Amino acid sequence: MLSNNRKYIIQFFIILVGVIYFFRLLYMQVIDESWALRAQEIAEKRKLITPPRGVMYDRNGIKIVSNKTYYNLMMVEAEIKYLDTNKLAKLLGWTPQQVKNRFYELRKGEGTYYNKHTHKRTSNYQKVRPYAFVKELSPEEIIRIVPHLDDFPGFYEEVTDMRTYPYPNGANILGYCAEVTQEEINKDKFYRPGDNIGRTGVEKVYENELRGKKGVHYIVTSALNNAIEPYAGGKFDTTAKQGPELRLGVDIELQVFGEELMQNKRGSITAIEPQTGEILAMVSAPSYDPNKFIGKRNITENYPKLINDPDKPLYPRPLAAEYPPGSSLKLVQALIGLQEGVITVKSGFPCNKAMVGCHNHPMATDIIKAVQYSCNPYFYYTVRRIIHKGRNKNFYRDAELGLNVWAEYMNSFGLGTKFETDIFGLRAGLIPNSKFYDKWYGHHTWAFSTIRSISIGQGEVKITPLQMANIVAIIANRGWYYTPHFVKKIGEDKAKIEFLKKHKTMVEAIHFDPIIEGMRRVVNEAGGTGSKARMKDIVVCGKTGTVQNSQGEDHSVFIAFAPMDNPKIAISVIVENAGWGGSWAAPIAQLMIEKYLKREIENKLKAQTIKETNLLNVKKKKDKYTIH
Amino acid sequence: MKREETLYKNLDWSLLIVLFLLLIMGVATVYSAAYNEKHPNLFDFSQKYGKQVLWVIFSCFLGFLVFLIDSSIYRKFAIPIYIFCILLLVIVLFMPSVNGAHAWLGIGNLGIQPAEFTKIGTAIALGSYLNKWNPKMQNSKTVIISNLILLVPMGLILLQPDAGTFVVFTSFLFVLYREGVTYDPLILSFVNLLPKVKFKETWIGTHFIPISFVLIVLSLTTLVLSRNLISLPFFPNVFISGVWGVIVFLFLLSLIFLWILRRISAKRERKKVNIIVLLGFILCCSLSITVNYGFESLASHQKERIELFLGLKEDPDGEDYNRNRAMAAVGSGALTGKGYKNASVASVEANHVPESETDFIFCPFAEEWGFVGSALLIALYLFLLLRIIFLAERQKSTFNRVYAYCTAMILFYHFAINIGMNIGFAPVIGIPLPFFSYGGSSLMSFTVMVFILLKLDSQRNDMLI
Repeated sequence: MLSNNRKYIIQFFIILVGVIYFFRLLYMQVIDESWALRAQEIAEKRKLITPPRGVMYDRNGIKIVSNKTYYNLMMVEAEIKYLDTNKLAKLLGWTPQQVKNRFYELRKGEGTYYNKHTHKRTSNYQKVRPYAFVKELSPEEIIRIVPHLDDFPGFYEEVTDMRTYPYPNGANILGYCAEVTQEEINKDKFYRPGDNIGRTGVEKVYENELRGKKGVHYIVTSALNNAIEPYAGGKFDTTAKQGPELRLGVDIELQVFGEELMQNKRGSITAIEPQTGEILAMVSAPSYDPNKFIGKRNITENYPKLINDPDKPLYPRPLAAEYPPGSSLKLVQALIGLQEGVITVKSGFPCNKAMVGCHNHPMATDIIKAVQYSCNPYFYYTVRRIIHKGRNKNFYRDAELGLNVWAEYMNSFGLGTKFETDIFGLRAGLIPNSKFYDKWYGHHTWAFSTIRSISIGQGEVKITPLQMANIVAIIANRGWYYTPHFVKKIGEDKAKIEFLKKHKTMVEAIHFDPIIEGMRRVVNEAGGTGSKARMKDIVVCGKTGTVQNSQGEDHSVFIAFAPMDNPKIAISVIVENAGWGGSWAAPIAQLMIEKYLKREIENKLKAQTIKETNLLNVKKKKDKYTIH
Repeated sequence: MKREETLYKNLDWSLLIVLFLLLIMGVATVYSAAYNEKHPNLFDFSQKYGKQVLWVIFSCFLGFLVFLIDSSIYRKFAIPIYIFCILLLVIVLFMPSVNGAHAWLGIGNLGIQPAEFTKIGTAIALGSYLNKWNPKMQNSKTVIISNLILLVPMGLILLQPDAGTFVVFTSFLFVLYREGVTYDPLILSFVNLLPKVKFKETWIGTHFIPISFVLIVLSLTTLVLSRNLISLPFFPNVFISGVWGVIVFLFLLSLIFLWILRRISAKRERKKVNIIVLLGFILCCSLSITVNYGFESLASHQKERIELFLGLKEDPDGEDYNRNRAMAAVGSGALTGKGYKNASVASVEANHVPESETDFIFCPFAEEWGFVGSALLIALYLFLLLRIIFLAERQKSTFNRVYAYCTAMILFYHFAINIGMNIGFAPVIGIPLPFFSYGGSSLMSFTVMVFILLKLDSQRNDMLI
C-alpha cells in the first residue's frame, strides 16, 4: 500500500516534468515571439537596403531637391591583418592620433547601445561587424582613396545617398536631413544607426513619405558572421522603394529672385496663390545655402557658424517671427466693423488724434478713404464700437463679450491660431481674448480704453508674416482661404485632404469690395502710401504698414495682391528696420508680383538697386510716432 | 528454439518500437546537425553521422547478444560486475585528461566512458542487494549500505570531474525511495538523543528523497523568480515578482495537492492530509523567504557565481552564450519548424549553438520540427518512461523491479536535464539526450540498459524468488 503510493509519486514527478516542458515549449515556440526574434538577430542577418529619399520639384517641374552618391569608408576589425596607422592617416589626411581616436570612438561610442535592463551603455562592438570608419566621402575624395585600399585589408568603400540642392535657395522651406539620434531609433523601428532623418522643413513633415521603403535582403550568417546563403532562397527579400516625388507649390525662380532682393536685409517675403493656398515663395532673410547642411561632416562644420550668426539665418522668420501687424490689421478691423454693422461703408470719423496719434491726411469720410489714408482714429472708433456694442449693461462685461466676438472674427481669419499644415516650426501669433486680459489686468478691470492699441495693430496683437500674407489672400478671395501649404502633390496623389478644405471667414463677401477699393487706391492713386508698388498694366491692391520696434528702426511692411480682378498672388513683405512701409517693402512686393506674373522684370535698375542695398546695420532711430 | 519463442512472445514490443523510433530520429537529427556538404553520404564513416550509424548498429548487436544471454547471469555476477566498473572508474583517473576531465578510457580515437557503464553496474548491484533485503526490517545498516553502493561510484566520478554524471547518479535515490528504504533509522538516532523524545517513525524519513528534491528545486526556483519579473504564459499583462510570486504559486500548488490527496486518501486520513499539506506549505514558504534573504546576504562574488549558474545574469554573448543560442534556436522553431535540415541557428554551418550534435541535440531537432516535433518527442519519452515503470511494477522479483526503476530514473534524469537546459529550465551541465545525442558510450549504455530490461521482463515468469 505504502510503496504503491510511492510509485504514484514517482510517476507524478515524471508526468509533471513532461507537462511543464510541454507548456514551456508551447510558450517558447508558438506564443512568445521574442526567442524567434532573438534567433533572427543571431542568424538571419537582415541586410537593409536604404533607398534614396524622394526628390522634390517646384510648381513648374524644376527639380529642387535630389540625391547624390557619397561613399562611406567601412572597416571590419577582424579582417585587419596589419595596419600602418601613419600611412592610413596620410591617405585620409588625418593625424595618426586622429586615426587612433576614431578606432576608440567606434569601440566605445558607436559600438555600444543602451541596455534597457541594466540602464547602462553596453558594448555590442564586434570585430567581425562592419563599421563606417569615415562617413560621407564625396566621389572626388573616395577616388583618391580607393586605389590605395589594397594596402589596407579590412577597409572597403560603401555607397550611400545624400541630398543635393540644385539651387542654393529655399533652405528655410526645404529643411535639412541629419543622422538619427538614439531616441529616434528607439521610437521608430524603421531607423538604424547612421540613417538620415528629416530634421526641419518639408524634409521633416514629409519624412514618412520621403524615406520610402527599405529593402530587406535576408542572409543566413554563421557564428563568425560570415554570410552563408540567401535566407530561404531569397523568398522573403524585398526591394527597396524610393519615396514618392513631392511637387511643391513653390516657384523656385520666384524664390531665388526673392532671396536675391532680400540679401543683406533682415525680414521675409511670403507669397501665396489665393485660389489654392499654395505657397509660391517664402523668403527668410538672411538665409543660407542648403548645400551647407548635407551630411554629418558638413553640418558639424557649418551649424555652429550659422547658429551663432547675430542675424539668425536659421530662424524661419516667415512662419515663426511674430510681429505686431501694424496697419495691415486695419483691413480686418474694417471688415469686422462692417460685418458687425457698427459702421457702414459711408461711415466717417474725424481724425482728431485725441486718443491715438496720426499723420496729416485728408478727412476719412468713408471706409475706402480710411483704408487709403490708414487713419488711426478711424479704426480706434471702429474697434471701440465693435467691442462696446452694448451687449451687456455692465461696462466691463460688455468689453469682455465684445473682445471675445472680435477675437473670434480674428481667429476665423487664421490669426491667433496655428494652421494645420505641412509647415514645420509654425507659430500661432497672438490674438488676445478676455481670458488673456483677465490674467494680465484682472477680471472686469479693463475695457476698450485699456486695450485700445489693438485697434491699430499694436500692443498685444502679434501675427506672423505667413498669416499676414494669408489675410491678403482672404481679401483677394473675398472671404475664404485654403490653408497655406507647400506640397501640392505626393507622387501621383493629390495633396493632403485638409488642404482642400475651404475655410470661410465670418465676414460676408459683400463687405470686401470697399476694402479692396481702398487697397487699390493705396497703390494707384496719387499720394497713396504704396505708390512704389504701382505697375503700368496690372492693378495691384496693397496696404503699407509700419511696425514700431523697441529694438531699433521701424519695420517696413507691405501686403498686396494682384491682379485686382483675378488675383493670382497674395504677398506680404517685411523688411526689418527699414523704416516706413512704402519705402522698401512696397517696391520689393511689386518686383515679386511682376516676376511671378510676367516672369521678366522691366525696370532692372530698380531690382538691382534693391539687391545691392544693405539694411543690416541700420542705426537705432529716435523715438518718433508715425503710423501709415 | 523454445527460448526464442518465449522471447518473441514475452517481449514488450511497444517499448522496443519506441526505442527504435528514438534511435532513428536521433540518427536523422545527428545527420542534420553535423552535416558536411563534402560527405553527403549518411554512411560515410569519417563523419559523425556515419560513426553514429555504426554505434547504433553496434548497440543493437550488443542488444541482440543480451537477448541470447540468460538474464539470471546479472544477478549471479552482480558483485563482480560492480567491482569491475569501480575498477574502471579508478583506472580512468590515471588516464590523460580530455577537455579537462579524466573520463575517457581507450586507445587512439576509440574510447569509452566507464562512467556510462557504471550506471548499469550500479543498477545491477543495487538490485542484487535489495533483492536479499526484507523491507520490513528497517535498520541503519540497509540505509548505509544501499547508499554506499551509490556513493562510491559517485565519488569517483566527481574526481574526474564530471558533474553531469554525478547529478545523474542521484536518480538512484528515487529507486531507494520506491523500494521503501527509509532514512528513519538515521534520523531517529539523532532525534531520539533529545531528552524525553521517543519516536518510532518519522514521516520525513520515509519521504526524505522527494522532499529534499522538491526543496532544492524550490530554492533554485525562488532564486530565479525573486530576481526577475515573470510574465505568466497565457496572461500577457500579469506579472509576478520576487518571493511573493513564489508564495502565491506555492499556495495554488498546495490547493491542487490538497484536492488530489483528499480524493485518493481514505476518509480517516483526511485530517492528516490537511495537516501535512498545511505544514508543507508553511515549510516551503519559510524556505523560500530564507533562501531569498540568505542569498542577499552572500558576498557579491558568491552571488555572481550562483547567478551565472542559474542563468540570472544577463550575458547573452558571454557566460550565457550557449543557453541563449540554444533557446533562440528552440524558440525560433515556431509551430511546425523550419523543415528538416533547414535550421538556421543550430545548423552546422552557422554553428551558433555549440555541441549541437551532442549535448544540444534537442536544438536542431526543435528548430527543424517546431512545437509539433518537440511535443511528439516529449510524448515519446513520457511513453518510454511510463512504460518502463509499468514493466517495473509487473516484475515478480525485487531485482528486476529495482533494475527497471534504475533504468527509468536514469533516463528520466537525462531527459529532464538535457531538454531542460535547452529551454532554460536547467543549468547547462553536459549530459546527453538518451538515444539522440552523438556519442558511442552513452548510446551503447542506454541501449544495452534497455535491452537488459527487455530481457529481464521477458523472463519475469521464469524466476520466482
